[in-house]
Amino acid sequence: MPPSPSVHPAQLKMKGLLVLAALLAAAFSRESFVGNQVLRIFVADEASVEKVKELEELQELQLDFWRGPGGQDVPIDVRVPFASLQAVKIFLESNGICYSILIDDLQALVDEEQTQMISHHFMPQSVETFNYASYHTLDEIYDFMDLLVAENPDLVSKIQIGNSYEGRPLYVLKFSTGGTKRPAIWIDTGIHSREWITQASGVWFAKKIVDSYGKDSSLTSILDNLDIFLEIITNPDGFAFTHTENRMWRKTRSINSGSTCIGVDPNRNWDAGFGGAGASSNPCSETYHGPYANSELEVKAIVDFVKSHGNIKAFISIHSYSQLLMYPYGYTRTQAADYQELDNIAKAAVAALSSLYGTQYKYGSIITAIYQASGGSIDWTYNQGIKYSFTFELRDTGSYGFLLPANQIISTAEETWLALMTIMEYTRDNPY
Amino acid sequence: MQRRSAARLSPLLLLLLLLLPLAWGAGPWPPRADRELQVSSRLAGQAARVALHYLNYRLGSPSALRALGQVRKATVKPIPGIGHKYYLQFTTEDYKSSQNVGTCLATVLYLKRKPRPAVNINCTYTKDQKQTREDDYSFYKKLRQQTKPITGNDTPDSYGHIEPALEPAWALAVAGSSYLMWEKSTENLGYFMAQVKNVKQWITKDDSIDFDYLVILHEIPTQEMISCHLRVIWTPGHPLKVKYFCLSENQRSESGEGSGTESGSTNGIFNEEEANF
Repeated sequence: MPPSPSVHPAQLKMKGLLVLAALLAAAFSRESFVGNQVLRIFVADEASVEKVKELEELQELQLDFWRGPGGQDVPIDVRVPFASLQAVKIFLESNGICYSILIDDLQALVDEEQTQMISHHFMPQSVETFNYASYHTLDEIYDFMDLLVAENPDLVSKIQIGNSYEGRPLYVLKFSTGGTKRPAIWIDTGIHSREWITQASGVWFAKKIVDSYGKDSSLTSILDNLDIFLEIITNPDGFAFTHTENRMWRKTRSINSGSTCIGVDPNRNWDAGFGGAGASSNPCSETYHGPYANSELEVKAIVDFVKSHGNIKAFISIHSYSQLLMYPYGYTRTQAADYQELDNIAKAAVAALSSLYGTQYKYGSIITAIYQASGGSIDWTYNQGIKYSFTFELRDTGSYGFLLPANQIISTAEETWLALMTIMEYTRDNPY
Repeated sequence: MQRRSAARLSPLLLLLLLLLPLAWGAGPWPPRADRELQVSSRLAGQAARVALHYLNYRLGSPSALRALGQVRKATVKPIPGIGHKYYLQFTTEDYKSSQNVGTCLATVLYLKRKPRPAVNINCTYTKDQKQTREDDYSFYKKLRQQTKPITGNDTPDSYGHIEPALEPAWALAVAGSSYLMWEKSTENLGYFMAQVKNVKQWITKDDSIDFDYLVILHEIPTQEMISCHLRVIWTPGHPLKVKYFCLSENQRSESGEGSGTESGSTNGIFNEEEANF
C-alpha cells in the first residue's frame, strides 16, 4: 500500500510557477493536467534505479521527471499523464519498486494556485478594486500603497523613514502638490498594533485624499497650501504578529535585555515625561516605557523625521478604542498653554464627527479624558512646538473593543475623516 | 451603522430629570459640599460601567445586556474611613446594537476594605420587556435543544465577526463576565470583555444552561489582557450562577463565585437619604 500523499510546497510552488509560465507562453496549446498524478519513487538499490531509467526511455509514456533518477537513496519524482498511469504503476509494482502518490490531482492544485495567485499574490488591479470594508495584512497594505502611488504619481509619493526592530520598512505616504518643505500635517495609525480599525481607517484616508483632491474645495485648498504625511502602519512588527500569533499584541517586538518578555509600548517611549507615572518599568507590562526615550526604532524614525522636516504644524496619532478626541497633556495635570484653543478645535471636530452617524465622542486633555500616560507621542510633539497635536481613540466604547466588526470600518473612517478635516482646515486657516 | 442622535433624546431626559426628584420625594441633586466631577471624567465613566456590570450580572438576561452611553451627571462623596461614593446618572445602549435603551441612576461605593464595589442602580428601559423575555426564552430553547454541546473559539474572531450559532453563548459570556468584572473593578481599575477565547457547553439533565468559558478581559489603564476561566449556569428568571478563576500576565490568580445573593440592588430600593438625590 503506498503511503499517503504528501506535498512538497517549495517544489510545487516552483514547478507550479514554471507550469503557469509555460501555460501563459503557449497561448493556444493549452496543456491540461487533468488526471495527472505525481509519483514519488523510492529506489532501494542500483537495479531499481536502472529500471526507472528504462521507464525514462519510453517516450510514448510522456513522463515528466521533476526530480530525475540519481543515486540509489534519492527519491524520484515524476509527473505521469493519465493515459500512462496504469502502465507505470504496474511496471513499478511488478519490479518491487515502492512509490507513493505525491499529488493525486495535479490539475486541481494548479487551478487552486492560479486562483490564489490572482486574489492574493498578484496585486489588485487598482485602488478601485481594493476592499476597504475588510481588514488586510501587512503585505496587502504595502501593495495598496504602491498602487496608490503608481496611480497618482503627481500627488502621492512613498517615503521610507527607517526600519522596524525586525527589519520591516517604515513607510510614510506624502501627499503634496509641490512647494519646498511646505507646512505639513502628520497622521499616524497603527502605533498599537491590535487597534486594527486604525490601520484600516488609514488606508481609507489615503484613498479619500486622492479622491477629494480637485473635487472637494476644502481638501484641495489644504493640499494647495500644506503637505499631508500619513504613516498607516506605524508598528509593522506588532501588526504582523497580530496576524500570525496574537491578535491582542499591542507593543513593538523588540527584545528586552534581562527579560523573557518582549516589546515596548511605543506610546510610552517618547521623550515627554518619559519614565514618569503613567507608564511601567516592567518589560512584561503592556505599558512598558522601554529602557530610554526613543529606544524603539519605530519611534526614533518619526522623531528624526519630524525634527529634520522642521515645519510640521499638526500632528495626529490615531488609536482605538473609546471614542475620544484628546490633546496634551497625558503625563501631567498642568494644562497646556494653548488648552483653550485646542479644546475649541476638539469640540468642533467632535461635532463634525457626530454629524454623520450620531456617534458620540468625548474630548479633553489625555489625563482628564482617559488616564495619566507618560512618554506619549503628542505630548512630545506639542513640547516641540507643534501646537495642533491631537490623539483619537476610535470606535467603539467596549462592546467589541479591538475586535470591531469589519462592517464598521467604512462608517468609522468616514466620520473620523470629518473630524480630521476640521483639524486640518483649522491648521490651514490659523498658521503660526 | 445607524445610531440615534443624542440631541433627539434630551427632551425625554429633561422630563426624567424633572420627574425623578418627585418620585423620590427628594431634595436637589447633587449632594451639597461634595466634589462634583466633570461628566467627561474617566472616573465617572468607570463608576458607571461598574454599575452596569452589576446590572448585567443581576438581570442575567442575554437579550437585555447594556453598555454605557453618556454620563449626564456625576458627583463623588468621600465617606471617611469607608471609601468613595459616586452618584451617577447616565444613558445606556444596547450592548450589541448601540441603540439607546434608557437611563440609569446609580450609586457606586468603592470600599477601602471589602473587595468589590457596592452598587445600587435603577434604570428605565425603552425596549419592550415582553420582547426581551421572549428573546431570552428563544435563546434558552435553542440551547436546551442542543443534543451536541456547543463549542467554539475566538468569538468575536479577529475581524469582529460573531458566528450566529455562537451568539447566545457569547451573550451569556458577557453576562457572566459582568459578575467577574464587577468583582475586580476598583476606583482605578476598569474592565471590558474583549473576547471569548473558548466556549464549551455542558448538556445538563436539569433545565439549566451550563457553559464553560475562557474569556479575555481588557484591563484599563494597565492595558493588560487577562485570561479567566468562567463557568456560567443559567436558568431564565433565576439569578445567574458564576464561578471564575483568573490568571493575569503577572501570574496573580484570583477566583470567585456568584449566585445572585450578593448585596446591592437593581429594583430601586435605595437605602439612601433623600437629600443625597
